[in-house]
Amino acid sequence: MMADKGIKRSSMDNESSSDPKRAKTDAKYNKYLAHYDDNDAQNGNGFSSPLDQLQRHKTTAEQAAKCEDSDLNPWTGQPHSQQYFNILQTRRNLPVCQQRKEFLEMYHKTQILVFVGETGSGKTTQIPQYVLYDELPHQTGKLIACTQPRRVAAMSVAQRVANELDVELGQEVGYSIRFENKTGPKTMLKYMTDGQLLRESMHDHEMSRYSTIILDEAHERTLATDILMALLKQIAERRKDLKIIVMSATLDAQKFQTYFFGAPLLAVPGRTHPVEIFYTPEPERDYVEAAVRTVLQIHATEPEGDVLLFLTGEEEIEDACRRINLEVDDMIQESDAGPMRVYPLYGTLPPAQQQRIFDKAPEPLRKGGRPGRKCIVATNIAETSLTIDGIVYVVDPGFSKQKIYNPRSRVESLLVSPISKASAQQRAGRAGRTRPGKCFRLYTEKAFKKELIEQTYPEILRSNLANTVLELKKLGVEDLVHFDLMDPPAPETMMRALEELNYLACLDDDGELTELGSRASEFPLDPALAVMLISSPEFYCSNEILSITSLLSVPSIWVRPNNARKRADEMKQQFAHPDGDHLTLLNAYHAFKGAEQSGADVKQWCHEHFLSPRHLMSADNVRAQLKRIMETHDIELISTPFQDKNYYTNIRRALLAGFFMQIAMRESSNSKVYKTVKDDQLVMIHPSTVITSPYDWVVYNEFVLTTKQYVRTVTNIRPEWLLEIAPVYYDLEAFDKGEIKSALTRITDKIRRRQAMKGGA
Amino acid sequence: MGLAAAKNKRKLGTDPNNTRWSRNTDTFGQKLLRAQGWEPGQYLGVQNAPHAEWHTKANTTHIQVTLKDDNLGLGAKRNNGNECTGLDAFQLLLGRLNGKSEDVLEAEKQAIEEAKIGRYLASKIGTIRFVKGGWLVGDQLTETPVEETEKPLETAATEFSTSSDEEAPDPVSKKSKKRKAGDTTQEDNEKSKRRKTDEVSSGNEGVLSRHKKKTSRKHRKEIEDNESQREKEATSASEDEVDTAVLNHKNAKKERKEKRARGREEKKEKKEKRRREKTSSGSGPETGESKREKKRRKDRDLTSAGEDLTEASPPVGSGASTPIGSGYSTPVLGPARFLSRQRFIAQKRMAFADTAALNQIFMIKS
Repeated sequence: MMADKGIKRSSMDNESSSDPKRAKTDAKYNKYLAHYDDNDAQNGNGFSSPLDQLQRHKTTAEQAAKCEDSDLNPWTGQPHSQQYFNILQTRRNLPVCQQRKEFLEMYHKTQILVFVGETGSGKTTQIPQYVLYDELPHQTGKLIACTQPRRVAAMSVAQRVANELDVELGQEVGYSIRFENKTGPKTMLKYMTDGQLLRESMHDHEMSRYSTIILDEAHERTLATDILMALLKQIAERRKDLKIIVMSATLDAQKFQTYFFGAPLLAVPGRTHPVEIFYTPEPERDYVEAAVRTVLQIHATEPEGDVLLFLTGEEEIEDACRRINLEVDDMIQESDAGPMRVYPLYGTLPPAQQQRIFDKAPEPLRKGGRPGRKCIVATNIAETSLTIDGIVYVVDPGFSKQKIYNPRSRVESLLVSPISKASAQQRAGRAGRTRPGKCFRLYTEKAFKKELIEQTYPEILRSNLANTVLELKKLGVEDLVHFDLMDPPAPETMMRALEELNYLACLDDDGELTELGSRASEFPLDPALAVMLISSPEFYCSNEILSITSLLSVPSIWVRPNNARKRADEMKQQFAHPDGDHLTLLNAYHAFKGAEQSGADVKQWCHEHFLSPRHLMSADNVRAQLKRIMETHDIELISTPFQDKNYYTNIRRALLAGFFMQIAMRESSNSKVYKTVKDDQLVMIHPSTVITSPYDWVVYNEFVLTTKQYVRTVTNIRPEWLLEIAPVYYDLEAFDKGEIKSALTRITDKIRRRQAMKGGA
Repeated sequence: MGLAAAKNKRKLGTDPNNTRWSRNTDTFGQKLLRAQGWEPGQYLGVQNAPHAEWHTKANTTHIQVTLKDDNLGLGAKRNNGNECTGLDAFQLLLGRLNGKSEDVLEAEKQAIEEAKIGRYLASKIGTIRFVKGGWLVGDQLTETPVEETEKPLETAATEFSTSSDEEAPDPVSKKSKKRKAGDTTQEDNEKSKRRKTDEVSSGNEGVLSRHKKKTSRKHRKEIEDNESQREKEATSASEDEVDTAVLNHKNAKKERKEKRARGREEKKEKKEKRRREKTSSGSGPETGESKREKKRRKDRDLTSAGEDLTEASPPVGSGASTPIGSGYSTPVLGPARFLSRQRFIAQKRMAFADTAALNQIFMIKS
């Protein structure tokens, strides 16, 4: 957290100087970087480093290699450990190492470089180090940043690189992810999530702390990477000293090159073996079924090698695992088939279980028997982000769950849809990591050619942009229309985002960021949640809203195993609040904290109550982080006593401060169908709710699209509150004719009458 | 499906696409965008940007997907053509009207026909597998079981046009390669202890040929890109075959010169055969082999020795890409969880077919 404060201070210095040139010189006086001032006399540290002889941006691969080979660590002056030399040996064998010279030559010549290297080429760990030996950050005091789309990757890669450089993680090499910062004053190389760099740049528009920014895994085209690319493109013109490397794992880097003013390209071949592709002659009737069969067939007839099966979601994966296990047991009983271990892999799986996929394949059942193998059933997280050695067979049904956003109905949902050709090739490539492999595609070649799109749509085209627009505004982007994104979003999506922010009062009517908007952007939350949190003191329940916000930002805390659904539901009923799910969440959280304080075994307690300890703890962690942000922004933390009869009413009203745009009204009495306000979508309340009585008005947290349209996490509210809390949105003049308008009109009349009576009395 | 299908009733609002919102030009967002110089119908972002050539429809409007609530595979249609047969003809007619060439039409028709027959066979009779037993070249290999070689009645061969072409000469190439390797070493060591070298050479030969196969495949893979991969593979495979066929002739001559004892050769042949089958059962990609076969095989395994398993597994083309599964990659068998159940049903059925057993069960005295 110390470091965080440092960032803020330094950024304030920079904000005061709008001139980029001055910002550069200011860096010298930057308190955060102050320790670098005595760096010229670094021999005060008591060691002379071979780096002293190097000249920045003029180093060669040989010089760097010499530094690496020396007995003393050039960065710390400590002697190198034996482990260091062991790792150095393997590092020298990486494909990317062959091109170090070429890379440096290109790096010296150009400001922006596009680097293509397949997974396994070593680019993520090595390139930042090559840059490190060339940038010599101890001379300039500027950092090297390398972004990763995923938090886990940022953490694990930073650890790895720290080992490779023989330094302690958090010292020379560190990482920074949302809610966790492991960097120190000595840090020269910083791995971070792309979102984190974006947050930092909100306070430091010139990214003046960095001399080089490496955008890794750019082919994944996450929302944050896309925006960073657009920002860096602008900054690169202002700051000629800033170097940018865009790293991608796919060969269609042309688009990146064109986008970055025709930047030069350096490609490193991966270390991959050929993969034989098989299609089915006819389409499948049931792809899960076909996938299970294919895995079994591979197990029965193919030689040694592990299997990777791609499916779409948790439920499907668990089901497939069960079926494969059953059939393999059968197969072993009836023939001399080898053993097979099946591992599921998906995002919400606890990390310990995720680690199991790296276990070795089982031994043959008896000596000389058929070899055992493992089968990993994964979502598309195994597509690019993970490297699992030993995979020889890939089974690809051609589907994945993808986020889709519809600005018209304002629904963001995860839907099963066909993958892209690029992603199908990525999947197939997983089979050739250790030796020639095979990829079984459960669709026809014709379907591959005709039904699959070329590239997966980048996230920016698939998301609600409210948060992004808020960030952009905070980043000082005025002209949203001509902001140079690689893939501009659909105009309607942009309009919806602007409209939502306007209603939330984050943008004023001229589209300028308001005070509230500026504060909301400080929270790493959706604008609606942030606004709810900021305005919660007005309702005397900011502590409770803070808890609810944290609980809504983590995956569902409810556990509902298939074999104990009924008991799980009964347990959930213990926490149930008749008015709705938000309050039920809060009750569960309070009970959890109570159990924690009473010294009970939390894990056991959670297990008994069918709650996820992991998600509850991470909610706890998020809560602490958010609390800190609230404190720095002087947002009061208050609650009313629990006995207060308005305790829950206050919370329900506070929910509306952020979620007044997510209201549904029951269509008619004795109907189960609700209609969303303004968008007129017909929805049902998700069966997971605790609500039993049919309320007329509800606020919902999310709109879920499955076979039916559902709203999930629902709480009962009163329509009068809407008129009171969000008068702009509920301006009856602007409403279209319909049941909702007439219902609201009736209520207005009622209020007016009541007030008239009061006035009369 | 028809009336028997599960009902999926869904109530739609009056304006499910919310076009009212999208047509409304007075929304805050639209006003703001227009104020910043956007015109309806334009992309956002820099006008005439160099990377705009990659822009797609997704940059103009939100991504539209169809809601998928079933497990239908990619490219499969709910009514996959086996109900309305007349549509095929109609499809062809439309194709003709659209000016497709006769060859293309003919090929399409062929494919439809083949699929139909395959489907019929699988659903009605089930497919029968044959085991490859060698190849008849001149009068040289008469020892190998003739009845089986003459009938390469591979379902796989009828089902994939690409693989069917090379299916026939395949065994030749394979065998000749092997024999060649075996023979050369044989010649060198002819005067030394025959038995031993025989064994050694045949051991080497397996490795050799396998190695050869692998490297050639690798090589091919590296040149080709995925698109044209299959056709090319077919051609290169056939080239290989020509080469090996020539070699094979030479071999035959050599063999005749050698005039080796018939008995020994027979022995060797057998050994080779067994090994080939073993490797093929191990390394081959699954040729068209439906679950039923596998089950049958498993059943047989129960009764017979382990050797049977290797022999029963289908032989495989040399490195050619044979797609997995039979014509229907999901054979008409019901879901996998019924597989074991299916076995009991089959056993029951067999019991019913056996009149003697039935008589016993019902205590009918004949």
